[in-house]
Amino acid sequence: MSAFSIKTKTLKKDFGAVQALKGVSFDFSEGLLHGLIGSNGAGKTTTMRLLAGLLKPSAGSVSYFKDGAPAAFADLRPSLAYMPQQASLYPDLSIDEHLEFFRALYRLDAATYARRSKELLGITRLDKFRERRAGQLSGGMYKKLGLMCALLQSPSVLLLDEPTNGVDPISRREFWELLYALGADRILVVVSTAYMDEAERCARVHLLDDGTLLASGEPRAVLKERSAASFEEIFIKGANG
Amino acid sequence: MNAFNLHRAYSVARKEVMHILRDPFTLALALGLPVMLVTFFGYAIDFEVRDIKVAVADRDNGPAARRLKEIFAASGYFRVLEPAGNPVEMLDSRRADAALFIEPGFSRDALGGRPARVQFVLDGSDNSKGAVMMGYLPGIQRAAATRLYGVEPPPAPLSIETRFLFNPELSSRWFMVPGLGAIIIGLLAILLTAMTVAREWENGSMELLLSTPVRPLEIIIGKLAPYGLLVLIGVFFVYLSARLVFGVPFLGSHLLFLLACLLFITAALSQGLFISVVTRQQQVAMQVGIISGLLPSMLLSGFIFPVESMPAFFQYFTMILPPRWFMEAARGIFLKGSGLAELAVPLLALAGLSLLLLALALKKFKTDLEP
Repeated sequence: MSAFSIKTKTLKKDFGAVQALKGVSFDFSEGLLHGLIGSNGAGKTTTMRLLAGLLKPSAGSVSYFKDGAPAAFADLRPSLAYMPQQASLYPDLSIDEHLEFFRALYRLDAATYARRSKELLGITRLDKFRERRAGQLSGGMYKKLGLMCALLQSPSVLLLDEPTNGVDPISRREFWELLYALGADRILVVVSTAYMDEAERCARVHLLDDGTLLASGEPRAVLKERSAASFEEIFIKGANG
Repeated sequence: MNAFNLHRAYSVARKEVMHILRDPFTLALALGLPVMLVTFFGYAIDFEVRDIKVAVADRDNGPAARRLKEIFAASGYFRVLEPAGNPVEMLDSRRADAALFIEPGFSRDALGGRPARVQFVLDGSDNSKGAVMMGYLPGIQRAAATRLYGVEPPPAPLSIETRFLFNPELSSRWFMVPGLGAIIIGLLAILLTAMTVAREWENGSMELLLSTPVRPLEIIIGKLAPYGLLVLIGVFFVYLSARLVFGVPFLGSHLLFLLACLLFITAALSQGLFISVVTRQQQVAMQVGIISGLLPSMLLSGFIFPVESMPAFFQYFTMILPPRWFMEAARGIFLKGSGLAELAVPLLALAGLSLLLLALALKKFKTDLEP
């Protein structure tokens, strides 16, 4: 499996008069779990969609690298998994039917699918609910199903847009444990979140505020560099400064 | 590497089938509504005027007058009323549509072999009904002459003999029911697909789909196929209703009819898909679908008003409307038994329009989330 990394250069995105991103340079290095931290409206979803190729930059660029060499988005696309923030599953289809559908879209062979779906259903503990329709799942289970659909194809790059948003604290902790259990810490993962306490679970954090990058790096190093006790403090200082 | 893949299109289609099967409303709409509407409106749309109330003032009271009244009643179009008062008052108060005056001496003249006259007064305020009544009178006249004088009336020196080919009974139902079927099927096909892509956008699932390797053409084919099949079943029910309920004759080839239906359904489904792709909202798609699917096909397809009698601009304009071509094909196959050679133009036009609409839908299919 190839290792991918993504870099952006003074990335800008405007929606009419609104500047969602004001020239941000990210470095999402390979094989790490990156956290994109910021409050609502900071530009997290816009960044995710730009990385997933679903939006085009107004200025600046997104570059993809495969094993260190520049690569086209088309090379990355087959092994990219993306989980949108908004509800995006089919309420009238069951867990099994979702997995079957995504299996077909990713063209997985029967053996891979059988092994992978069993593994995913086991880790997410959703195997007892396979017949249940997505519309009847709890918030946490729904997010887990979204994650399973994304992970079914064993992606090389995983983009999760606020996967824990609106999920109760216990389910949130479960979700992070799940990410590690699934080996998500061995591929490039970008997780966006508005929960500051989740920042410490990431190998790298990128603090996004109002379309600009406040800080990025290892969580501890960032705190130390800003001589802050918590990430909230950095945001409060950033907003005042 | 990531070209069109039939398996992916199939899996999109299979998913769509699941949606349909779990949505009894769509299923009932697609299967039940066309046949219901065709049967319902097929009875209502009838240009024939029957049961015309004729108030008779019989001042003759002879055997010939009685026979004349029988002939009117036996025609099936007229109902003879014999009021006590003045028939003109009945016309005034709309209790009668026409009045027949038989003057004394009618029987004497008619049975004596001399020319006999009666007066028929029509309510001209409803001119369409009046024109139809006028159309029935020559037949009555001929029947009366034969029965009263025992001979056919001598032919006029110059006679124009009119005979209707293809629809000898000139039953407007035979003519209207296949056309009505075309309109309802077309509208249904447009509405069904108009919702599908818009639903993916509203559901949020489009964002997820676009991040997978699935291609727009695979989504489009996967969405067209199940609805095509569904609408085809609807067509079958409409066909049964036309044949069994209305007794419409079917003179042409069933295979050719199937081909025409497939082409027309594809065109209508593609039109709906195009609307869906562009609007991306179910509500808007539904409204645009109804307006674009109903008005042109009602008014400009030749369903009611013949295309040949429209202003030149509209005659050309109707060429971009699939129902216009299907109307021609369906009526031709049903009533004339037209073959492939006669229907080459409408069939090719339908095929061309299908491809055009499909290409438009594909071109307008957004593969990103740009507003």
